[in-house]
Amino acid sequence: MAQTTKIREGEIWAVGGGKGGTGKTFITSCVGTYLAKKGKNVVLVDMDIGGANLHSFFGISRPQKSLTSFFEKGASLSDLVVKTDLDNIALITGDIHSIASDKITFSQKLKLFRQIMKLNAQNVVIDLSAGSHNNTLDTFLIADRMIVVLVPEVIAIENVYHFIKNSLFRKVKKTLKEYGFKEIAQHIWDRRQNYGINNLKELIDYLKDSFSYIGTILDHELASFKIHLVLNMVRNNNDILLGASIKSVMMKYLGVPIQYSGFIEYNDAVWKSVREGRPFMLNYLATGCAKQIEIFVENMIKGKDVSLPVGF
Amino acid sequence: MVKDELKKYFEMLELPPDASLRDIHNSYLRLKKLYAGDSIVLAPLGEEFPKKKRKKVLDEIEEAYLKLLAAKKDEPSRTAFLFEDALSPEKAVDLPTTGPSLRKIREKAGVDLSEISKEFKVRIELLKSLEEERFEALPEAIYLKVHLKNYAVFLGLNPAKVIDEYLQRYQVWKEKK
Repeated sequence: MAQTTKIREGEIWAVGGGKGGTGKTFITSCVGTYLAKKGKNVVLVDMDIGGANLHSFFGISRPQKSLTSFFEKGASLSDLVVKTDLDNIALITGDIHSIASDKITFSQKLKLFRQIMKLNAQNVVIDLSAGSHNNTLDTFLIADRMIVVLVPEVIAIENVYHFIKNSLFRKVKKTLKEYGFKEIAQHIWDRRQNYGINNLKELIDYLKDSFSYIGTILDHELASFKIHLVLNMVRNNNDILLGASIKSVMMKYLGVPIQYSGFIEYNDAVWKSVREGRPFMLNYLATGCAKQIEIFVENMIKGKDVSLPVGF
Repeated sequence: MVKDELKKYFEMLELPPDASLRDIHNSYLRLKKLYAGDSIVLAPLGEEFPKKKRKKVLDEIEEAYLKLLAAKKDEPSRTAFLFEDALSPEKAVDLPTTGPSLRKIREKAGVDLSEISKEFKVRIELLKSLEEERFEALPEAIYLKVHLKNYAVFLGLNPAKVIDEYLQRYQVWKEKK
């Protein structure tokens, strides 16, 4: 949307994925810490409304300021930035009070996005809520890098498909609305049986084929729609290969480009670290997990996929 | 073959355009297994991604594999001779997979056992036993499988075929024992 045009140098990364408990917040904290260690000036934003706990990963038990002030008192986002013990990394802690996601008004949302873009940071990393609520999807879509976290379980895979499909559909609808084609995508989708359309890819193909102008718009606007996949809590090579399978299926079935940027092995050190309230990437630097987070971030920056284990 | 056309086939196998023969083999087997089987990755899509479409994907994978093998045939590769008179994947992988024949292929390719040993961190003695089919000196099937896979992949052979056929003989020996 026009109101959220980027006006600064920094990059916004968003971490989503549908299912709860897959490690989105853990990964946000680690990615942020690693970027800060690389010398970037980082602000993490906890958008997990109702379930905010990013601050706990930095040993902050009761944050003095939170997004509550933004929503209830109209405070400016830049005034809500909380320092951490680490250089280069600050937080905007989540709403730990009453606000429910669907209470957020449209204008509040736009204001929030504008202010996120104006934050004084080289890297903003946003931790999203579980689920595929429109507010969550919209936040996901403002990011320069869209990161999806999942674990090797059927339900998580299902939720990730749902999340990616909904994000893409939302993106298509918003894009067409901006160009004055309000509701056309939804209209056809609601009558998809009449059009012989079975899935989102077929809808997009239909729109492109039927209206060449729309085709040009979508080709242009969807070119940047790329998902970075990270598989958390893997236990063996078969788990690692699941990421490649999901990438394949999403590309062949949905036509969405996916980069399988990383996997992180299951490690008890993670929950220990959460208990200790110290950033994982500092206390457990020698673990495979920490190394894999580094590889994951570097892969994202370089546009590389993980190297797969040979054979199966 | 036109470069753009090749690029399309690499994309079908989800590979970069500079992928090696080994990568092509691996990707082909991985994708074939995914779309021919009932992976938990496909289950959630159900009828949105019906069998008919999966079949189409499988056909595309097969075609891409064939075309890439043919294209790779002209590239200098140590195991290129495997494809000299075999253009179809069926023929290309239809080689005897006994220990001695594996050794012949390896020697013809000019690959030294020490290279495989170094790549996969496995003792040369074990690889020798594998080529000589000295089953008593080999580990249990579950571990043997890994060594066979590595060996096959290193030479650009079809690992599934090598494992299957080799283990059949291994099992026969084991039952007799």
